[in-house]
Amino acid sequence: MPVDRENSSTVSGDASVVSSTGNQNPPPPKKKRNLPGMPDPGAEVIALSPKTLMATNRFVCEICSKGFQRDQNLQLHRRGHNLPWKLRQRSSKEVRKKVYVCPVSGCVHHDPSRALGDLTGIKKHFCRKHGEKKYKCDKCSKKYAVHSDWKAHSKICGTKEYRCDCATLFSRKDSFLTHRAFCDVLAQETANNHLTQTNLLFPQTLLLPDPEPHLKSPAAPPTSPPSVALPTKIASPSVLPVPSSSESPQDNPLEVIMEEEAIGFNVSSSGGISGDPTSNSNGTPRTLGFNMSSSVGISGDHSSNNNNGIYAGLFSSTSTASPSLYASSTPSTSPFPPPSSSMEPISLCLSTNPSLFGPTIQDPPPPHFLTPLSLPPPQPAMSATALLQKAAQMGSTGSGGSLLRGLGIVSTTSSSMELSSHDLGLGLLPCSSGGSGLKELMLGNSCVFGPKQTTLDFLGLGRAVGNGSSNPGGGLSALLTSIGGGGGMDVFGTAAEFSGKDIGRSS
Amino acid sequence: MTRTRIISPTRFPSLKSQRCGSGGDASFMEQLLLHCATAIDSNDAALAHQLLWVLNNIASPDGDSSTQRLTSAFVRALLSRAVSKIPTLFSTFGNTVFQPPADEIHRFSVVELAGFIDLTPWHRFGFIAANEAILTAVEGYAKVHIVDLSLTHCMQIPTLIDAIATKLNKPLLLKLTVVSSASNFPPFINISYEELGSKLVNFATSRNIEMQFTIIPSTYSDGFSSLLQHLRMYPTSYNEALVVNCHMILRYIPDETLTPSSPSSLSLRNVFLNQLRSLNPTMVTLIEEDADLTSDNLVTRLRSAFNYFWIPFDTTDTFMSEQRRLYEAEISWKIENVVAKEGVERVERTETKGRWLERMRDNEFGGVRVREEAVSELKAMLGEHAVGWGMKKDDDDESLVLTWKGHSVVFATVWVPI
Repeated sequence: MPVDRENSSTVSGDASVVSSTGNQNPPPPKKKRNLPGMPDPGAEVIALSPKTLMATNRFVCEICSKGFQRDQNLQLHRRGHNLPWKLRQRSSKEVRKKVYVCPVSGCVHHDPSRALGDLTGIKKHFCRKHGEKKYKCDKCSKKYAVHSDWKAHSKICGTKEYRCDCATLFSRKDSFLTHRAFCDVLAQETANNHLTQTNLLFPQTLLLPDPEPHLKSPAAPPTSPPSVALPTKIASPSVLPVPSSSESPQDNPLEVIMEEEAIGFNVSSSGGISGDPTSNSNGTPRTLGFNMSSSVGISGDHSSNNNNGIYAGLFSSTSTASPSLYASSTPSTSPFPPPSSSMEPISLCLSTNPSLFGPTIQDPPPPHFLTPLSLPPPQPAMSATALLQKAAQMGSTGSGGSLLRGLGIVSTTSSSMELSSHDLGLGLLPCSSGGSGLKELMLGNSCVFGPKQTTLDFLGLGRAVGNGSSNPGGGLSALLTSIGGGGGMDVFGTAAEFSGKDIGRSS
Repeated sequence: MTRTRIISPTRFPSLKSQRCGSGGDASFMEQLLLHCATAIDSNDAALAHQLLWVLNNIASPDGDSSTQRLTSAFVRALLSRAVSKIPTLFSTFGNTVFQPPADEIHRFSVVELAGFIDLTPWHRFGFIAANEAILTAVEGYAKVHIVDLSLTHCMQIPTLIDAIATKLNKPLLLKLTVVSSASNFPPFINISYEELGSKLVNFATSRNIEMQFTIIPSTYSDGFSSLLQHLRMYPTSYNEALVVNCHMILRYIPDETLTPSSPSSLSLRNVFLNQLRSLNPTMVTLIEEDADLTSDNLVTRLRSAFNYFWIPFDTTDTFMSEQRRLYEAEISWKIENVVAKEGVERVERTETKGRWLERMRDNEFGGVRVREEAVSELKAMLGEHAVGWGMKKDDDDESLVLTWKGHSVVFATVWVPI
């Protein structure tokens, strides 16, 4: 239970003081763990610089100046100095809980109200989010900035729990299952299983124009002959639409599909088909593949005249979906009794909330990607040029894109920038967010223009467009040209000079 | 001096990699893209030309940052559009300065696809949520009929089969129906649906489930009318559950923006839902991406697309390079479809969650909350992916939403007739 804090320099903006229990008798309240990023309102906020944050030895012994990462370690060390008891005591003032903020502005945890209560936590956060990923797992390609994250991952990496027969490992059951369902190895396996069973194997051909479609065992090694003298055919012209006159023409395309190729299907020895097959004179199995049980008396019933009957019983269908390709069991005239369990549909909890379609919650606009302002409408050309020009102008005022400044060529370009903005005399339109990026980018672009003198020329920007076309285009090209350095003509010369500089710097 | 030697942008990687690391650049890229789009649509060849050139220089498809690669995909799409709208541009650009459009899309083997869809929770999120709901819906039925309308070619089914096999009293029959037209947009597979089906049946068998696989030739462009017709012709019996699982497919059904003149009730999307409702299915699951890419105005559409597709590009940080290339190629296909195509060719007409909820309600479906077990399973799954993935539960409308760095990505909803 939170304890009353008198001190008002709190984490949250308002003075949210939490009251104590007021009763001294119960045992001291258990230390409550705040949710990460939602610190105790009365805690003291500590803002460390990145350097201090990452410093390894913050706790220093006053006697021998030895540094320690943790306070406990320091205390342990101090004991070894045999201090007199007075000096051994800690300061008696009440220790306030400390919370830490991330030094990177713009970060979620930079705001005191989202500070983290644990120094180690803030250090890890700082590394994870703003640090370089120095640790790489050697088994997979994952990279980590925090050593302990990397260690934790390495422990589980490779200790995958699911293994397919094709020797692929999976850490999650669902990816394993999905793979397994489609892995060819499974097909082989089931085929092999069937070979070992006594019955139910059928020769290779399936379906087809053949009036007595055969069933095909899936992926069975071509050399596997049926080992049992089982009926190998499905009776009848199963390909043709059967009893239900309601068959629609739409079935035909499916039958075409069915006829096209030898289709594999599965014959399994599982399932619950048993009992007497319903004999059906129509016996037109419309379904082609099936799974059948071997435990079924079917294997026993070899009476040939009943062959059709058997399978007919299994496959005759009046209500099963007709254009099926792979059926695995009996139709509605199932020889075995339906499960005695309740058949009534599950009653689902319907949401009775009338505001089912209440106002869609809008997500906060993505910080980086949503343009807060709408585009200035009908003068796109102006804006585009203005964009470029604004960038140029921003560079020319000396504040300089950090990129270019970093490259040390601000001074070189400032004159040309001024030229360009002077040249164009265009008013600046307020362009939306990303101003600094814009400036950086555009100044960066001017570096690009340098090395690309040939493409510049190829696109004729230095010439044709500047000469005769409409204003905005002309403005843009003039800008580009002048960025390239000076007048319109000698693009290459200056550009080369440019390129030398910036390539050098940027490597 | 008209030297026309083309320099591929990737010749200067050092220049590229410096830029576009920070978020500010994304805004700038977006601006340029929007201006370019406006220029193209107003037939301003000169400006379009210049902007495309600038964009091409600053955004490389192999760039270090995802923003660059995202922008590059948009640039290619804009170029494709520009060239078809402004023929003069074609003669200038040809195919040399810019990368060729991503015509060649990879065809996955099913095993490859199985691995691919699990690279991020993008699909697995919907799979888990839907399968959980489906399990509760079909429990107790002798026959279970799943109609799987999914972008992912039945990748949801193996886990469903396994769940049915392990958690439920086994149904007598599991019927799976799919449509043949889910192969006009990525991901593309390299086998026929017949083969795919046989593998699934095989798998079901190995789990002791009787299964039947049916392929109905039906297409999104007419709102799956032949599928619905088929379902009407073979109505479900009393002890049969009919579940229609719609995973990122319904967006391909033409909506009002394709036929603006006809009344909303005639939009194929509404017609589909209406007819679906009349089949009285036991349950319908609807998983879609939460974005609005339907606007007729290119600039609006591009802005929406840019502010959505940055997400998949951003998630590829942990991928291997080949996976990333494939993944980004798929997204680029979509970007090109949204930006460069019009009319019936523009199939990616994703709508927001709010709009879908409205449609479902209008067609007499009611939302159902997914169980807590599902929510914990989802959280556990998300925990195994990169740190940016999260989810939120929307209590107002019973939806579950997958988020990346707080932004909505995919929503999963479950419906029953009311």
